[in-house]
Amino acid sequence: MASINVENVTIDFPIYGAGRRSLRQSLLARTGGLVRREGNHMQHILVRALENVSFKLEDGDRLGLIGHNGAGKSTLLKALAGVYWPDAGAIRIDGRISPLFTAAPGLDLEDSGQENIKTCGMFLGMSAEEVARKMPDIMEFCELGEYLDLPVRTYSAGMITRLCFAIATSIDPDILLLDEGLAAGDARFANRAEHRMNGLINRTRILVLASHSDAMIKQMCNKGILLEKGKVLALGSVDDVLKEYHRRNDELAAPAAE
Amino acid sequence: MTPHYAAAFNDLREGIRNWPIWGRLGWQEVKRRYRRTVFGPFWATISIGMFIGGMSFIYAPLFNTTVSTYLPWLTTGLVSWSLIAALINEGTGTYTAGVGIITTLNFPYSILNFMVIWRNVIVFFHNLLIVIVVVLALGVPINSSTLLIIPGLAIIALNGIWITMILGMVSARYRDIPQLVGNLTQILMFVTPVFWVTSSLGDRGHKVTQANYVFHLVEVLRQPMLGQTPTLMNYAVTLGGAALGMLVALFLFARFRRRIPYWL
Repeated sequence: MASINVENVTIDFPIYGAGRRSLRQSLLARTGGLVRREGNHMQHILVRALENVSFKLEDGDRLGLIGHNGAGKSTLLKALAGVYWPDAGAIRIDGRISPLFTAAPGLDLEDSGQENIKTCGMFLGMSAEEVARKMPDIMEFCELGEYLDLPVRTYSAGMITRLCFAIATSIDPDILLLDEGLAAGDARFANRAEHRMNGLINRTRILVLASHSDAMIKQMCNKGILLEKGKVLALGSVDDVLKEYHRRNDELAAPAAE
Repeated sequence: MTPHYAAAFNDLREGIRNWPIWGRLGWQEVKRRYRRTVFGPFWATISIGMFIGGMSFIYAPLFNTTVSTYLPWLTTGLVSWSLIAALINEGTGTYTAGVGIITTLNFPYSILNFMVIWRNVIVFFHNLLIVIVVVLALGVPINSSTLLIIPGLAIIALNGIWITMILGMVSARYRDIPQLVGNLTQILMFVTPVFWVTSSLGDRGHKVTQANYVFHLVEVLRQPMLGQTPTLMNYAVTLGGAALGMLVALFLFARFRRRIPYWL
């Protein structure tokens, strides 16, 4: 049994080293969380990334996070991963959690592919034995052959993606947190990647996915949550939430089109 | 910020339990730094060796001693000092260097502290080679006191925990600190009897050095390498300092551990 219980979570980001000029610019911004100032001389800049977010997830739930850039999707994922502790509210999680964000954690360009598989694997919570056991599978899947003995800085971008993807998808989590854009590579690899990703998702009890792709959300999720400026605007079945998202987008676009 | 002592202790306990990670990362870091060099980590050894070689001939007459008495003093002092100075200087970057993982994973941050300490202990063992050469060449006594190198190293490593915790946190929040600390350690090197001999300062110098915490840290490692026993005072100060430092570090860690990702 895995579960996630998010109760009235609010997260403020303090911004350091931002002058008044950049503040003015961010106030004009149409996306992102609310920016405000605190302190005697209004010197503390805070960005409200999440405000009063609540939801519950159980086994079998596949939640899609929907919203514009800066709506709070990634912050919510990172809060679930335990990276950011909420300023207010609480997050309770039951089960082994695995965050799969952009690159493999601890990846070092100077180290060889094999060395990186070990380091990243350990950071993803695998023991040395577990990494050793999964090593052949990872090496085979990324199809990097002799390159695995060379430093990662000699790899092409696509090859790095392959390596990261192979490492990241070798885990066995209860709860999987996924930021979009993880899979890539050439067409043939993309096909195998999709297959491997589906296998991983089927092994996990709960999935939380942040994506801008309707197709991806529809295909992988059964629940949706719509975020805007850190607030939850809609929560429910994936189709309803996507519909709401597009209705709002059309509303916003309408006056501009006139 | 309300303190979360349980979380702080848990972080340290889990950090120790995860020794395979920092053990590995420490080695990797040393290897990385000297990759594609012929001498590898021994470059640190060579640079200290060359420095000592040059300094001995100029400074020995300055302090009215012979090269054969000054050289072991300088060598053991500089090797001990290098370890302590590295813990202080690299300690400031403990958490900022881990930005990639701190902002993507929830893991025991103390892994990063242990990694910095372990990495520098590895470098120390490379530098120990110069000490061995000097000791053997100049007939510095090797006796039961020599074994005190091990507790001496352990005491410095123990102090390294609170030093890297406090400096790591403060430096992550206030980016001026690493610069300041870099300057201060430079001054500290000249204030601490590494190059100069304590006796050359007379009575007043004795008081000044006794008040210097780093002097005691240097002594618990240097004296055993010279075949001498550090004073009880050296042990009392460094162990007491470790306990006090840990208390302060835990106090800060319990309060601010959760803020570290926001600072990076």
